[in-house]
Amino acid sequence: MALALTYGTSRTLVRMRLVAFRHALEDQLRRSWIVTGGFVGLALAGGTLWVAARGDQDVLVVVLAVWMLGWVVGPLFAGGGDETLKPEYFTMMPLPPRTLSTGLLVAALAGVAPVISLIALLSLVVVSGGVAAALVAVPALLLQLLCFVLASRLAVAVYGVLLQVRSGAVIAALVNAFILAFTAQGWALIVAFVSTDVQGTVGKAARIAPSGWGLVAVDAAGRGDWLEVLAALAGLVVLAGLMLLAWSALLVRRTTVTRAGRTPRRLLTARTPEGAAAAKELRSWTRDLLYGHRAVFAVAYGLFFCMMPLAIGMKSMLPWAGPAAVVMAGSMAANLYGADGTAFWTTLMTPGSSRADVRARQRAFLLVFGPSTLLITLLLTWWSGDTGAWPLVLSVLPALLGGAAGLVVACSVYAAVPTTDAHKRSGNPLNSGENEGETMGIVYVMLVLVATTCAPALVMALYTGWWGVPVGVLSGVLAWWYFGRVAARRLDARGPELLTLLRHGRSPAEQAKKTAGLDALPKWRRTLAGFCLGFAAIPLFPQAVVPAVFKLTGNHDTKSWFLALYQDGPWQWVVIVLMAALGLSMYAFGGLTYYRAKKRAPDGSVAVVAG
Amino acid sequence: MEQALELDGLTKVFGDERAVDDLSLQVPAGSFFGVLGPNGAGKTTSLSMAVGLLRPDGGTARIFGVDVWREPTRAKALVGVLPDGLGMPERLTGREVLTYLGLLRGLPEDEVARRAAELLEVLELDHEDDKQVIGYSTGMRKKLGLAVALLHAPRLLVLDEPFEAVDPVSAATIRTILHRFIAGGGSVVMSSHVMALVEQLCDRVAVVAGGKVVAAGTVAEVQAGGSLEDAFVSLVGASTRGAEGLTWLSH
Repeated sequence: MALALTYGTSRTLVRMRLVAFRHALEDQLRRSWIVTGGFVGLALAGGTLWVAARGDQDVLVVVLAVWMLGWVVGPLFAGGGDETLKPEYFTMMPLPPRTLSTGLLVAALAGVAPVISLIALLSLVVVSGGVAAALVAVPALLLQLLCFVLASRLAVAVYGVLLQVRSGAVIAALVNAFILAFTAQGWALIVAFVSTDVQGTVGKAARIAPSGWGLVAVDAAGRGDWLEVLAALAGLVVLAGLMLLAWSALLVRRTTVTRAGRTPRRLLTARTPEGAAAAKELRSWTRDLLYGHRAVFAVAYGLFFCMMPLAIGMKSMLPWAGPAAVVMAGSMAANLYGADGTAFWTTLMTPGSSRADVRARQRAFLLVFGPSTLLITLLLTWWSGDTGAWPLVLSVLPALLGGAAGLVVACSVYAAVPTTDAHKRSGNPLNSGENEGETMGIVYVMLVLVATTCAPALVMALYTGWWGVPVGVLSGVLAWWYFGRVAARRLDARGPELLTLLRHGRSPAEQAKKTAGLDALPKWRRTLAGFCLGFAAIPLFPQAVVPAVFKLTGNHDTKSWFLALYQDGPWQWVVIVLMAALGLSMYAFGGLTYYRAKKRAPDGSVAVVAG
Repeated sequence: MEQALELDGLTKVFGDERAVDDLSLQVPAGSFFGVLGPNGAGKTTSLSMAVGLLRPDGGTARIFGVDVWREPTRAKALVGVLPDGLGMPERLTGREVLTYLGLLRGLPEDEVARRAAELLEVLELDHEDDKQVIGYSTGMRKKLGLAVALLHAPRLLVLDEPFEAVDPVSAATIRTILHRFIAGGGSVVMSSHVMALVEQLCDRVAVVAGGKVVAAGTVAEVQAGGSLEDAFVSLVGASTRGAEGLTWLSH
């Protein structure tokens, strides 16, 4: 009976989810995000299979650990992970909690990301190399996938609990920052505290982690050690069961606890329009736990990233903790208007308040991250004892602070991602709508853009030393001033459109209007343009930029799938340049096609008001 | 007669759907104007375009003769708006929201404090000073929205469903405030589903259906001898359902 109910519930939820997915595909923009994400995922899955085919189990087990890590940490960046089916929808259904959570779990498996992970996990079959081991690999990989998805859901639920109290938000931020920094700099800790055999230690640790149990089972089956096979598979089953129980319990909590803001401490005291706007914005940073969480995360990431090498006595990265924190902060604060949602109407209906509002957001960003990163930079650079670093970091920091303060408002206005209004949100504080792909993409783009703003100052400092500082300050002030002005003007000119976007999202109808020009093109041209935009990254980045970096940094050991590195001598550069040219022209063709089509669209998306 | 609000040929198209179709309306200064219409008739869309929250595809909106889309800054100084279902600065308390918006409008600090205190007191929100807006109930949000609309003493109020989810005592308070506002020379445009309320409060009404005005005038003119509800049902061309089918509801 219970089983039949669970089956029926799961079936219905999967159908709901697939219908929602089909609607998502009807939306041009969301479709392009899904397709892009799908291609990136497929490329990563292909890479995993390739590692398995080479038979290098030590590498494979680490790669699998990274997959699981992606499932756990990913939702933090992608707006709370997939929440097509929110548990809140079903609170009034007479369903036992475990039936509902099992149903939601099964529905969660019916998505793009699980399918891609499944393909990656086929590496267990590839690496098995024997009929018995291959037979073990099938249940192993299914259980492993189940654990990935469950770990992700459980992590989101745990964030949900932590982000309800200030201390929890800080702890979650510190843990996440540590995990992310560890993936990049963890080698130093391993060398210092475990052994100098980094790869071996990581391999061993990754086998102990649950992400490696499937591989352990397959490996043991190959050796005929059936006891170990059983133990590893049973371990996965027990783990999945425990995670399901914990997740069910947290779901019940999520759907029955209300969230009121806490009693505010300092009330707003301001005297001028500018002061009032700034005071309001600062309250967001100090009272909204998600804002606070992101601020702590950014600063902690910078600190961990640059301090981990201290474990092996390496101090040369210390001065860069402040700049790293600013770059991270800029990319996490790139959707300020989207995050406030339709509350933007209050700004829109207050005549002449756009400028004050934009400058206030910049001011709050600088107040939160300016003094903290400056202090970190001063202390850590002094600690590093690296006198040569002083002009570099003091040039780069103001450039980055100004650049980030400018870019966050420009990006927030020009590339706002609609989110669910705060008072209508679900119990998942990370989730803010259905645009997780877009949110994630903007984080990456902003990481690069913010980092670029220090280029003039860095170049100047590298060649002339202290002359970099005035250049950095000047470029920072310019970026702050210019991008702020651009953002305020855009708000004045297109405020109603921004509100409509935040209010209704990108409805299929609006989308249809935007793409009217594109629809007029022949189908092959549209397909080709889409293909070019989707795949141009492959020749440009992995086939040109990455091998170029490898060559410049003197890394000659890894050839992987970098075509250029399989050539001889100067031919390597020829291939790199050709690949870069191919990638750039694909982007240019795709971009131009879209641009021209948009210009040709009747009225474009700009409504003309008859006089 | 001076027009407080004048909509002329307003049009909004979403995809293939004409949400508002060549809608024209005159609201004389000093009137209490009710906008009626079934769900999805285009009331909210029209009012949004009338005040500058949604850009129309065609047509004009004027507030006391000032074109909302050509001179938005001047027009917005004349109007107070209570939109339906939009967010607020969620992390502020009610008093802070009023302080913040008053200062942004350029009111002097002590004046903002005085007006905010009075509005919160009258609307019985002054006991909620320890609460951020995110913790407000739907009715409290409406009341705060009304306070925001009144704060800068506009000449015209545009209110979208001001009585929705508001308790009876607060509703009576709001009615009194609105009557005083009219008596003091203000004009009010209000959308509502509640016929009795419109009948009781408004001197003029317009019935909107399918994005067009199907009837407008004084309440007596639109009623045409019957009740406003009967007139409404016959105007929007609907018949009340619910008598047939649904047999499985009986126990």
